[in-house]
Amino acid sequence: MSSRAQGLVLDPELTARLVSSERLAETRGRRSSGIGPLDGLLGGGWPRAALSEIFGRRSTGRTAIVRAALAAAIAAGEATALVDTGGTLDARAAAASGLALSALLWIRCAPAQALKATDLVVAAGGFGLAVLDLCDAQLRAPDAAWVRLRHAARAQGTTVLVATGTRRLGSFAAAAVELDGGRPSFFGPPPLFAGLGTRATRARGAHDRESQLPCVSLAFTSRS
Amino acid sequence: MRLACVYVPQLALQAALRRCPEVHGTPAALLASQGKNKPRVTELDAEARRAGVRPGMTAAQAAATAPALRLFTATAADAEAGAAALADVGYAFAPRVEREGERIFFAAEDLKRLYPAGEPAIAQALQAHAARLGFGARVALAATKGAARVASRAHELAVVPDDRAGARAFLAPLPVHLFTDDDDLRAAFRRWGTRTAGAIAALPVDAVALRLGPAGAAVARLARGDDDEPFHPQLPPDALEEAVELDYPIYEIEPLAFVLRGLVDRALARLSGRSLACAGLTLRLALDPRGLDVREVPLAAPTREAKTLVDLIRLDLARRPPEAAVVGAHLIALPARVRATQLDILRPAGPAPDRLATTLARLAALVGPENVGAPAVVDSWREEAIAMKPYAPGGPWSAPIPSETRLCLRHRRPPEEVEVLMGRAGPTALRGLETTARVLVAAGPYRLSGEWWQEVAAGGSWAREYWDVHASDGAVYRLHRDARDGRFYLDGYYD
Repeated sequence: MSSRAQGLVLDPELTARLVSSERLAETRGRRSSGIGPLDGLLGGGWPRAALSEIFGRRSTGRTAIVRAALAAAIAAGEATALVDTGGTLDARAAAASGLALSALLWIRCAPAQALKATDLVVAAGGFGLAVLDLCDAQLRAPDAAWVRLRHAARAQGTTVLVATGTRRLGSFAAAAVELDGGRPSFFGPPPLFAGLGTRATRARGAHDRESQLPCVSLAFTSRS
Repeated sequence: MRLACVYVPQLALQAALRRCPEVHGTPAALLASQGKNKPRVTELDAEARRAGVRPGMTAAQAAATAPALRLFTATAADAEAGAAALADVGYAFAPRVEREGERIFFAAEDLKRLYPAGEPAIAQALQAHAARLGFGARVALAATKGAARVASRAHELAVVPDDRAGARAFLAPLPVHLFTDDDDLRAAFRRWGTRTAGAIAALPVDAVALRLGPAGAAVARLARGDDDEPFHPQLPPDALEEAVELDYPIYEIEPLAFVLRGLVDRALARLSGRSLACAGLTLRLALDPRGLDVREVPLAAPTREAKTLVDLIRLDLARRPPEAAVVGAHLIALPARVRATQLDILRPAGPAPDRLATTLARLAALVGPENVGAPAVVDSWREEAIAMKPYAPGGPWSAPIPSETRLCLRHRRPPEEVEVLMGRAGPTALRGLETTARVLVAAGPYRLSGEWWQEVAAGGSWAREYWDVHASDGAVYRLHRDARDGRFYLDGYYD
């Protein structure tokens, strides 16, 4: 950033601390994912007041990333909600990792009720982050449902993060991350499950022209 | 001491008209039964009187006299609700109120500080508030109950002078029938030729007492401006009640919700007059032909929004419809003060309490109340144990972000029974409803047991061997083998 603006000379140390308005608008429009490399991949984090998607096969770290986003939002003092199809939440691990469970609105539901429940949460307003967990759900949702959810998220300023097995939202998502190449690691003998490594790739959007999309490697440790 | 008297003439009819504000301006009359006789008109408004309706007419006679006449039947529910609402007119201005049928009395001395324009302004404010609650009221301020009572009968708005001589002069021109409802006393005063209070005040009180007894003496003293009637105000009741008896049974939820909306509106208007909000609702529905449906409608936060309360009631009715048609409704609202909450400038505001309450109720209606709340860890060694507690935002928001990202187990609740092929080192293959795979790496067994002090049939006394297996489909599963029966169960997979 230039230290000269219309003849004004600024101290270099002060200049180093200044943030351009464009950069400020960009970071304000993003919320931290709770995982540093992922924030870098997303350009600062998940887009605020928009739909985002994270998808991948089993054991690629989707749920860990969702929990990290919830923890980051709760740590920032925001109201959060988790629409959990199937009631799969690992409360013990979440509490052990420092997530304040009492600050989380947890909704257990069937896949057919998930979108409606998410609509209700977002429409209430005041929630900073709402997560829709469809990882194990077989759900056929019309495009209109995602359009409606996207409008509601924008109107209420709520970040909606959808976790799925395969990509569903397409261009309705402002950001999408694909997880693949899950590599479990065991140490021993006797073997003990140590953790999981995965590759996170920013999914191609409508305006992406690069031949190779950016990706980062993520590592998750075992819960024990 | 200055006392205010708020008098609502024909309170029973006005209480019925509160339910139907659209009827205001049209002729209306109240029918009441006396024993086995036909119901007859007991109260009527000015429009009905102008149309020729008179007390004592039957319904048919009254309807023939005034075809546009709207007839109401006197009900206990209307009467109780009307009396309670009238008391709330006083509670909006004073902490204690004395109820006397169609009147209330309360101390108005302190109101002078709120109304510098004087007691006429106080009287107007009282009348306006009574109108907001659906009453056409007459208001009088005086130093004694008796003077206030008489003045409210004589004038729509009256301020009786504080001193005894001034009160006597104010009451002097008023006719005797305003001082007593006893027909014999009235007749006796007429026979004496004393038709006004001034004439009665000129008589010696002892002579009046000798001839007409204590009642006559009381009238004579009041006419002189003397009144020692005690004032016994009471604190407001803990809960606020509104009730309605329906003209015909209602089977559907939407028409019932429409009726209940009226109850909610009237209850909130009364609460609002006392600067209170509704913290909870109890609804008692009278069923046809007999029975009572009692339901509690809890609120996450006190609210003054009728829409929120009606939505919650509607959701509760939809979730658990009444077993029979409804012929009456009784609403009990718990009052609570609305305290302003100072938000933290450094933290986001969060969802508004009243909207959150409605949202939680809607979610509960959608997925079941046991599936909405905040998760809680159970004090148990069972891996899948989890509890749900009520969601209450505003708890411990600030929490450190975890330093490392840990894997989560996506639980199957309850664990799914699977077939597992065991080798020397552990599971070698597994097959379930959605998964069939070879086991590439198996870590375990990890043995856990617990709750040995509970009965097995009650779900206690368990013993398990856990395995973490990397399957050929790429996933890492958590299995356990029940030590009691040797069966394998899928707890979930790491993700």
